Amino acid sequence: MRIKQPSVLPGFGLTFGFTTFFLCAIVLLPLAALVIVATSTTWHDFVHLVLSPRALGSYRLSFGASALAATINLVFGFVIAWTLTRYDFPGRKLIDALIDMPFALPTAVSGIALTTVFAQNGWIGRYLEPFGIKVAYTWIGVTVALTLIGMPFAVRSMQPALLEVQRDLEDAAETLGAGRFYVFRRIILPTVLPALLTGFTLAFARAVGEYGSVIFIAGNLPMKTEITPLLIVIRLEEFDYKGAAALGFVMLVISFVVLLTINLLQGWGRRRIIQAAH
Amino acid sequence: MSIALDQVTKRYQGVPVVNDVSLDIGDGEFFVLLGPSGSGKSTLLRAIAGLAGVDHGRVALHGRDVTHVSPRDRGVGLVFQNYALFRHMTVAENIEFALRVRRMKASERRQRRQEMLRLVSLEGMDNRLPAQLSGGQQQRVAVARALAHKPEVLLLDEPFGALDAKIREELRRTIRQVQRELGITTVLVTHDQEEAFAMADRIGVMNLGRLLEMDNPHELYSRPATRFVATFLGAANLLLAHQSKEGVRFGKTPVNAHPANPGHGGREHEVVAVVRPEEIEVAPTREALHARYLAHGAVEEVLFTGALERMRIRMDDAEAAPLSNSNGSGIPLLEVTRTQHEQRAFQVSPGQPVAIGVRRIHILPTPLSSFTACAPTELQAATLSQHPLLVELATRMKTRISTRVEPQLGVSGAGSEGDGAFAGTTVIAAEADVAQRTEWLLENGADEVLVLPQNATSPQRVLIHWAEESVRGATLAVSASVLRHVAAEATYVGIFPDQTAETQRPHGVRALLDARSEAQEVHGLEMRTELRFGDVASELARQLAEAPGQMLILGVCSMTGVAEKFGSLLADARWPVLIVHRTPEGVVA
Repeated sequence: MRIKQPSVLPGFGLTFGFTTFFLCAIVLLPLAALVIVATSTTWHDFVHLVLSPRALGSYRLSFGASALAATINLVFGFVIAWTLTRYDFPGRKLIDALIDMPFALPTAVSGIALTTVFAQNGWIGRYLEPFGIKVAYTWIGVTVALTLIGMPFAVRSMQPALLEVQRDLEDAAETLGAGRFYVFRRIILPTVLPALLTGFTLAFARAVGEYGSVIFIAGNLPMKTEITPLLIVIRLEEFDYKGAAALGFVMLVISFVVLLTINLLQGWGRRRIIQAAH
Repeated sequence: MSIALDQVTKRYQGVPVVNDVSLDIGDGEFFVLLGPSGSGKSTLLRAIAGLAGVDHGRVALHGRDVTHVSPRDRGVGLVFQNYALFRHMTVAENIEFALRVRRMKASERRQRRQEMLRLVSLEGMDNRLPAQLSGGQQQRVAVARALAHKPEVLLLDEPFGALDAKIREELRRTIRQVQRELGITTVLVTHDQEEAFAMADRIGVMNLGRLLEMDNPHELYSRPATRFVATFLGAANLLLAHQSKEGVRFGKTPVNAHPANPGHGGREHEVVAVVRPEEIEVAPTREALHARYLAHGAVEEVLFTGALERMRIRMDDAEAAPLSNSNGSGIPLLEVTRTQHEQRAFQVSPGQPVAIGVRRIHILPTPLSSFTACAPTELQAATLSQHPLLVELATRMKTRISTRVEPQLGVSGAGSEGDGAFAGTTVIAAEADVAQRTEWLLENGADEVLVLPQNATSPQRVLIHWAEESVRGATLAVSASVLRHVAAEATYVGIFPDQTAETQRPHGVRALLDARSEAQEVHGLEMRTELRFGDVASELARQLAEAPGQMLILGVCSMTGVAEKFGSLLADARWPVLIVHRTPEGVVA
């Protein structure tokens, strides 16, 4: 096999070797260990572990709340990214910097802060209480926490795509008679769709794996507000390594399937736009 | 009229990028807006399309005022330099876009699409995506898309900019053909003069936001009215000449052509002459010339470019040398191009002395020919000639600044000691006795005097006023010439004495309207008008003091009393004042 030097930078052999090694050591090896531990139980035990009512409840909350949070981020992340790319207003730079805050904040801090605000006597919680809406210690709180930590992922992946939408396209559509909503639906949305999907994927992936912020606001009632990562930690604390690994394996499979599906969708969309010209 | 623009102005952060443009484009006309980048031509096109709002003025399409109508209701088709095709849609979907928006039936849409594809010779490409097409094909699709909904006006914004030469030529032909076939009124924006010549029924040349001149390509090339058009459309040698009743004189050589029409009291005055490189003949001796003799010179450089030979000649008589040529080099050399036929008749090599003849000279009607910085001492004159605003004006006008020492400047009764008559515009510094100096210069034969305060900068607004109606034409001509070279707005201020009776006031308004239409028709100058009552000098001073960055152009016909009447205006070191002086017809100075 001949490997062509793909760029002006030399050292393909070295970098390729490093890439494979790094991927193996950091990503594949631990995952393989997980799979081996998880599958070392009998089939009956495994099914019993991963399909227990408590486990099923945690899957529903983890993946349901993550999907909901990612959807919220898809919509509002788009609005934020749109505002930041299309308008110039005093304080734009400041808001742009604030977007990254959830990246830097330890997630436990976010969790505690959210709990303070949304608890029954908190700043926002006390006004929601009379309406019978409880945020903290319910699935709503979980969703709020997952939305917060996923938001920068959504915004940051949509921003560059929106910057690239040529104003000429909108101008052209407008002179051809299209109204604003029509331009948005038929021109802007299809153009930025791949970026929107990326934003959704990243926010979703981040939310599924989130632990720190959720445990403070969730209340952690088994079957009700207990997320899968927490259940794994509980199993570990009980020294039930096999149970923890089995749950982890299920998360791995579901996440992988979801991410792969989105990636395939995206690839299909891209191919439709840039088909090989021969 | 298909497109009518009336005093359209568009500003960005206070600076006018489209400055008072009025324009009528006829049905089925192919109009080209030509100008360098930043001249405001694209902004003007976007204003016609409705994509850029206007700050002042009106836009009408087919007699309908659309100034405040959104682009989607204007019925225009627009083609962009970068095609702006919808990349996620097929060719068919792109072309049908406007029809789909209008909810046309699918069968009719298909039929219209086929028609459009045939028009731009892209039959059978319906299901391709834009990424599968070449640049030229993509632009054809863009043209088809812009025409599908049968717009009444087609607008093309540098449509060939991203294409290579051969494709460009082919597409030019297609577009011209489509335009003729449909008879659609078309406006094309370009910076390429060759493209403008190849396509236009009529060309409008823009610079610094102003529409300088418009005419058919041939007329514009052979009889430009401004230096900018002369040098932007093809190559041109600009030469200073002296015009009198006998003809024109270049340096010491009289050429028996273009005798002066009356004006300037019949005196010899300085003008700017345009000589195209292809109108110059070279021969070994003066006797061997077929054309009128201009000067002797030495060949500096010969360049073979295929069909034509380009040559640059240094003229022996430095006074007759060109101001600068369009290629912008510092050394004023005469540009000459010769055909193969001419080359065979007389071969030249660098260094060879030749006799130069001209077949055709065009005298620009512009009154500002050159600048002379005038002061009592050499040092003062030299300093003044370095004034940033003066240098800026001279550079933009592609003219020269000379110096002149007048030790007796401003001393009443004393005559001029300088060499020869005052020619062009005389520049003096705004110092204490500036009013006396101005009067002295006018008495000694200067036609235009520019009074320049030390820290004067490029004006944003130019006020125009004339003291007597007899200098109206000359003042407007000078104003038009100045305003072609600065990005400023022009305002004529008509001032009547305070005690003007109510019944007389309509006359004032009529005088204003007359002035505006003369400016527009004769000098191509768009200006605002204001009517004021009161004392002339104090009223002007009040207006000038209103905002920084203003300049005054003042027309006078009697040279005495200038100091007394306008002295206060001249002495103020905040604004430049250009005084235009003409002796009325028949009065011997």
